[in-house]
Amino acid sequence: MATAIASIGDEQAEIPAVIAPSLREGAEFEPLPEATLRRLYTYMLKCRTVEEKIRILFKQGRFSGNYFAAVGQEATAVGTTLDLLEKDAIAPSHRSFITHIMKGTPLKLLFAQLYGRKTSPDQGRSAPAHCGYAPLNIITPSSTIAAQLNIGTGIALAFKMRREPNVVIALSGDGSTSLGFWHEAMNFAGVQKLPMVFVVINNLYAESVPLYLQTAVTDISLKAQGYGIPGVSVDGNDVVAVYQAAREAIDRARAGEGATLLECKTYRWYGHSEIDPAKYRTPEEVQEWKQRDPIVAMEQRLEGLGLWNEAWKQELIAGFRQEIEEAVDFAEKSPVAEAEECLDHVYSFSVRERELDRKVWSPKFEVVRR
Amino acid sequence: MPVMTYIDAINTALREELTRDENVFLIGEDIGKMGGVFKATKGLQEEFGAERVMDSPLAEGVIVSSSIGAAMSGLRPVAEIQFADFITPAMDALTQQAAKLRYRSAGTQTCPLTVRVCYGGGVGGGLYHSQTNTSWFIHTPGLVVVAPSSPYDAKGLLKAAIRDDNPVMFFEHKKLYRSVKEEVPVEDYTVPLLKAAVKRAGTHLTAVSYGYTLRLTLEAAERMKQEHGVEVEVIDLRTLAPWDKETVLDSVAHTSRVVIVHEDNRTLGIGAEISATIAEQAFDCLDAPIVRVTPPDIPAIPAAAAMEHFYMPNVDKIVAAMEQVIRY
Ligand SMILES: Cc1ncc(C[n+]2csc(CCOP(=O)(O)OP(=O)(O)O)c2C)c(N)n1
Ligand SMILES: [Mg+2]
Repeated sequence: MATAIASIGDEQAEIPAVIAPSLREGAEFEPLPEATLRRLYTYMLKCRTVEEKIRILFKQGRFSGNYFAAVGQEATAVGTTLDLLEKDAIAPSHRSFITHIMKGTPLKLLFAQLYGRKTSPDQGRSAPAHCGYAPLNIITPSSTIAAQLNIGTGIALAFKMRREPNVVIALSGDGSTSLGFWHEAMNFAGVQKLPMVFVVINNLYAESVPLYLQTAVTDISLKAQGYGIPGVSVDGNDVVAVYQAAREAIDRARAGEGATLLECKTYRWYGHSEIDPAKYRTPEEVQEWKQRDPIVAMEQRLEGLGLWNEAWKQELIAGFRQEIEEAVDFAEKSPVAEAEECLDHVYSFSVRERELDRKVWSPKFEVVRR
Repeated sequence: MPVMTYIDAINTALREELTRDENVFLIGEDIGKMGGVFKATKGLQEEFGAERVMDSPLAEGVIVSSSIGAAMSGLRPVAEIQFADFITPAMDALTQQAAKLRYRSAGTQTCPLTVRVCYGGGVGGGLYHSQTNTSWFIHTPGLVVVAPSSPYDAKGLLKAAIRDDNPVMFFEHKKLYRSVKEEVPVEDYTVPLLKAAVKRAGTHLTAVSYGYTLRLTLEAAERMKQEHGVEVEVIDLRTLAPWDKETVLDSVAHTSRVVIVHEDNRTLGIGAEISATIAEQAFDCLDAPIVRVTPPDIPAIPAAAAMEHFYMPNVDKIVAAMEQVIRY
């Protein structure tokens, strides 16, 4: 079983990375079809290529604000969101930008979002990484950590009430588990047997704060017990393990059997955001995790099955780069919203007149000056 | 036309909306079998089932948040907050999520939900069962804040709120629930949101209020007529945000004198906003300083009767303010 290190105070401690057993007692996962294996890999590679490009653009000052890269965590993002139905919802965290790629939000719109352009899904309102997309049921998130989980329960409730076979994938980090919202959402999902999968992306840090200051357990999945739902921990860098565990949870949810807590143990390679040098982690720790690159691991696995070679990889990357260039071009050529458009979409009615035209009243009675 | 109490009017509005639109559902603490602590949802679970009249866990955050998610998905949730005092666990959901969802998604995601909130003092409820905190939400653009003062308005405004595409906070004063009765049509009708009502016409003084204190203001206006022959125009704001400036400023343009009465804290209560707006947009209309009748700025309403009495606006205090403004 693979182990990972994380700094606990001045010391380094080993944190076991668990491979999840199937939720069904004694059952084994079926081997995945070759096409699925290749798709899992392809999407991880695409997500990485996109995010590395985003980081460069930010460093070049081509867009402002900030960005929260999930580089190193691709197996988790991809394994939990591959092949969702169009109406399935995603309740994203600040580090879930790449799940848009999984759901099918056009790359052009995502880059327009980073650039804050009028062509973006929210027409330049939200911060770069806080992107939603209504046509694909991705909640436009706020920055409040874990709030999306609670809202996700309502979307799941609507699926349940309308007897629709859809699910909500609710993504959050290890840090989010400390908030009341997290508890409220898990509890309500348990009580109402909501069609949800709570994916806790345990990357061992919430900004600078290590896991042991966040919670007294090492396996966050343990917390599921308190809500009467199943919980599993999985090696979040093993895309096959993540996918299999997630599929099982999604199938349960679709079948009306309720929510699952899926903890994926992984690591973000870079700082919390693009302006964080992440000095709170040792270079050795980061190096150790980079050696467990989920993409390289999948390449080795595929190669063993005769499903991978370097030429194919380069071909894929070339395709992604072209799509990215087109998206960047679209974003850079897109207009910004007119300043006064900040007055729009406050209510279902317009407040423009109210804000712009401050009428003055004069006396309608006879003025008697004393 | 049957005579209804305020609580009957609310119960009726909920029943009618549940019947009219299958997307409407209710969620809150103790609203099911028990019918709510004030019985606003009495009999509704029996009639519509436990899914459409849902007892939630004791968690205001999830009551409002799940309503937001359900509303995003096209349902029309009506959430109940048992006491305004306990709305704080839902503050993120209301101010950061509901208020901003339309805005942050540029209108592509919206949450047409209604949050019914039981508020107000004067019933000996003490610090945590008496608060009037409408200002917290008036201060949050994106939310519509409504507070009816009569059974007729309660029914019509609640139906309008449920059908509205914005998140609406619907404040019900607990002291009004059973103390006022009036004829309420059995037919379907709505009272428009965002519109104040002139509840009593007058030419000498404009008095602005809402909810429970609106009724006190009406009594004070009657006394001003009896005792001084002063004709007070009484405006019921009904919707506190966005409030109906036109109706208020038009009235001020005719009367030149203003008294504002509310149960919210004085500092940055809606009276402050109305006063500032009059000063900015109708300065020439004024013949006297604006006077506010509000509680003092203390953390909450004490339970002991004498202190609660000191805290609450009442008819005597309002009459005194009106006299002061007229005498100026
Ligand atoms: C309620 C709240 N508190 C603080 C923040 C600031 N903040 C943004 S991300 C973050 C850390 C989140 O950690 P985690 O949940 O583990 O997610 P990760 O960043 O590791 O993906 C903090 C403290 C916030 N956005 N919301
Ligand atoms: Mg984290």
